[in-house]
Amino acid sequence: MKLILAILAAFALTVNGCGKKEEPPKPKTSDASTTIPAPAGVIVGAITLGNALGPTKKVVQASDSFARNDTIYASVDTTGSGSASLNAKWTYRSNGQEVSVRDEMQTINATGPATSEFHVSKPDGWPAGDYKVVISSSGNSSNSRTFSVK
Amino acid sequence: MSKDIPDFSNVQGGSTSKDVPDFSNVQGGSSSTAESTRIYVVVSGDSLSKIAQREYGHANQWNRIYEANRDILKDPDKIYPGQKLRIPK
Repeated sequence: MKLILAILAAFALTVNGCGKKEEPPKPKTSDASTTIPAPAGVIVGAITLGNALGPTKKVVQASDSFARNDTIYASVDTTGSGSASLNAKWTYRSNGQEVSVRDEMQTINATGPATSEFHVSKPDGWPAGDYKVVISSSGNSSNSRTFSVK
Repeated sequence: MSKDIPDFSNVQGGSTSKDVPDFSNVQGGSSSTAESTRIYVVVSGDSLSKIAQREYGHANQWNRIYEANRDILKDPDKIYPGQKLRIPK
């Protein structure tokens, strides 16, 4: 009888052992030093306006006020890398409404910080008033400046 | 028809606004310290010749724009408002 009980006990242990599920490996926990990657793409930074441009695409002298016959330059700094569409939307503000003046677009392939410029001119002179330029990068980020023509 | 109601059938209309200037002749451009390609968005009434005249000062330079956009232009006479064309430097 003892022999039978011993055999049964051994059998039960064997069956139990076979049915034992292996625990899945626990996911690795991130340590505190893990860095979150910066968002990809080109980010629009500061916009500077002026009526003349230097060789590095920066305006020679920053200004928010222009004469009727000026060519108006918007110099924009960007950070980040990759291919991006930079869009400049120039508008004239009249009686609370914005009238489209000019849309300009360029695609850049940035490998790091860069400076891009957009410019507009009007052969018969700018109407006096308030204007605005909005520069955006692939619809992700944007910045704007207002200026006036006197 | 009642005699009290005047006839307005020949009234002519229209409107002008002195407050909105004409910006259709505004010229623009762009460049970058990064590698860049200028994009022009076609507006109503454009043709490659008109764009070339505006961009290069010569209408007969239209072929430069056509060649740079052969992937989207099958016929140089058929461009559409909203189309984005690469403008070679």
